[in-house]
Amino acid sequence: MSATTLDLSLSSELEELRTLLRDFMTRKSPVGAARERAENGAGYDETVWHQMRDQMGLPGLALPERYGGQGFSAFEQQVVLEEMGRVLHASPYYASSVLAATALLASGDERACDAYLPGIAEGSVHATCAVSGPGTTVRVTGGGEAARLVGEARFVVDATTASVLLVVAEGDDGPGLFAVAADAPGLVREPLPTIDATRPMGRLLFEDVPARLVGRAGEGLRISDRVRTAAVAALAGEQLGGAERCLEIAVEYAQTREQFGRAIGSFQAVKHKCADMLLQVEAARSAAVYLARLLSHEDLAQPIGQSVAEGTLVAAIVCGEAYVFVAKQTIQILGGIGYTWEHDAHLYLKRAKAAQLLAGSPLRLRAEFAALTAAAKAGDR
Amino acid sequence: MSRTEWRAKDPDQFRKELRDWLARTPPGRAPRGKHERIAWQKAWSAQAVEAGVGGPGWPVAYGGMDLPFELQVIWQEEMSRAKAPNVPGTGVFLAGPTVIKHGTPEQRERYLRPMLRGDEIWAQAFSEPGAGSDLASLRTTARRDGDVYIVNGQKVWNSYADVAQIAFTLVRTGSPDSRADGISYLLIDLDTPGITVRPLKDITGAETFCEIFFDDVRVPVANRVGEENEGWSIARTTLGHERAANALNQAAFYERVLGEVVALAEERESLADPGTATALADLQVRSRVMKITAMRTISDIITKGDPGPGSSVSRLYNSAFEQDLNEFALDLLGIEGIVTRDSDLAVQRGRWIYGFLRTRASTIGAGTAEIQRNIVAERVLGLPRDPVTAS
Repeated sequence: MSATTLDLSLSSELEELRTLLRDFMTRKSPVGAARERAENGAGYDETVWHQMRDQMGLPGLALPERYGGQGFSAFEQQVVLEEMGRVLHASPYYASSVLAATALLASGDERACDAYLPGIAEGSVHATCAVSGPGTTVRVTGGGEAARLVGEARFVVDATTASVLLVVAEGDDGPGLFAVAADAPGLVREPLPTIDATRPMGRLLFEDVPARLVGRAGEGLRISDRVRTAAVAALAGEQLGGAERCLEIAVEYAQTREQFGRAIGSFQAVKHKCADMLLQVEAARSAAVYLARLLSHEDLAQPIGQSVAEGTLVAAIVCGEAYVFVAKQTIQILGGIGYTWEHDAHLYLKRAKAAQLLAGSPLRLRAEFAALTAAAKAGDR
Repeated sequence: MSRTEWRAKDPDQFRKELRDWLARTPPGRAPRGKHERIAWQKAWSAQAVEAGVGGPGWPVAYGGMDLPFELQVIWQEEMSRAKAPNVPGTGVFLAGPTVIKHGTPEQRERYLRPMLRGDEIWAQAFSEPGAGSDLASLRTTARRDGDVYIVNGQKVWNSYADVAQIAFTLVRTGSPDSRADGISYLLIDLDTPGITVRPLKDITGAETFCEIFFDDVRVPVANRVGEENEGWSIARTTLGHERAANALNQAAFYERVLGEVVALAEERESLADPGTATALADLQVRSRVMKITAMRTISDIITKGDPGPGSSVSRLYNSAFEQDLNEFALDLLGIEGIVTRDSDLAVQRGRWIYGFLRTRASTIGAGTAEIQRNIVAERVLGLPRDPVTAS
């Protein structure tokens, strides 16, 4: 593929959006705010969320115009996520505008899209989507108006604060996507405390909960794949932004902290560590930007193709590991103070590790990639 | 096909015309022997310049095409596709820009076209036994005597010096402790009396570079490029982003080699072992990253004129990759991999054991990985320079 046919560069308009967002985040949602809310279990700041909507139309940035969105693609969205990741910003964006919106658009269910997407784009509806993972088994019995969900979904982002919950449930017709109201009878929502308090997760316990099928029965796997890819791409943006911020913190410290009569950044061990961190950041940038560019051309109604599947795994592996590596090394360079609760570094490390594992354990992802490429080869023969 | 028309061509049109020319004038296969190979490179380079398809980034006046960056990328892609050879020697990227930007009109007339045509082969002579990473400490002296310099000293790691006609050197014209402030850039005719070139054997057993001894060698002052004692600053002159134009090809090259390793693994049914499959997957993932980073670099140069930090760390990333790739292939073969090429039990003529050995140099030559990390940390991240070099 010729480089000129796949533009991986950010336009000047996109750089302006970044500057706007960075300025907004610095003033309205700095990492200190994320930290405070996390420590107080306060969740996201609604005022700030509304300001993001009013000043920048952020909730609907990457949603189609027909639903009140701005019609941008995953490529532009990634810049937004980078800036959010930089400051560990907590908001409904990830769960609602990325996960849930993708699930709805992938389902092709126009009624459901009309019912929920305008509210999501406007920031007035907070939705989330449960993706498959350990401890998540939800079954559906009955059909149509009589559809009822039974089981449990774990590690659901914003489970206790969202008003609309989307979940893939296994039924007689195969897996399907279902929508549940937060106040539905038989539904219990519990917080699931994890090490990353900046991204609240929860458990959903279903006991004969009325639910509505979204899209067609049996489409659950295809829709899950789409949600997973969108999740990885969004996380990749956050991981890139967070890793970059950590590197800045480390370099700033290395330039100012003096020991043995000179800045510690003048010692090669420290310099080389920083250089290695930059290496990881740039690798992450490549993987993230490439996936975002691939997704900007995608039709969500279709199943994922080989290059998107591979690009997703590459981003999950590379961006996940880069952020964890950089966060660890940042603490290392900070030395003793990096180990204190008071310093922000541990917040980034916790976000990095949680985000990495959210996309899949690194121990399994490469095996998954190997299987994917082997399957493609077998298919070619 | 008049040369001056190249700039105006649209990318698709340019690619098509170049491809057509290559189809009519294919380079043919690379010969095996060293001297045969060099003769092939020389013949091809001369032909390319004559046809107006040589020197994509060079001025037209000296035999080049003066292509905009985007077309240079296409040129690189098509030449690579056709497996066209490079100009022999190390002068084109390393000395050409210096002479183009800092040479006198006479020097440019005398040296550039023959270099580009391969009529004269150039060998770099910068490093010395006592001056590698710390090149500014070099001790080969050039003492002025009327209209000549008398050169004494020794250079090392000089690729192609045994077949070259011209050595481009950095010599000390200042006081012994003048470091970078007392270095001049001097072109030395390797036929000059007093020069001894001795091939050096590397750890693979091959003789790909040499050492050069200078014993009272008389070199015209007219061969000095730039002012006396200004050699250090002009030595690293580059033309636009010439090197970056080849970034995608380099990534594609690694991808091809990786593909050959995969084929090897499949042939030996090694991929059933999950550890092997996972290790291979890691290399494949890294290969993707290299390709995307090359694409990003090229995209950024075209759209913004600047490659950004990704390109400064790509050498570090790529060299680690090629080392790991070769070692992985060797490990795949196990004990069978260490059989040397002269045995009929050698696997792929010992390709991977030699590759493993050869790539030890990937993190040493043209700037060690440690120096590169220093440079990245200092120039890209703004960290303080090492106390010694800061003086």
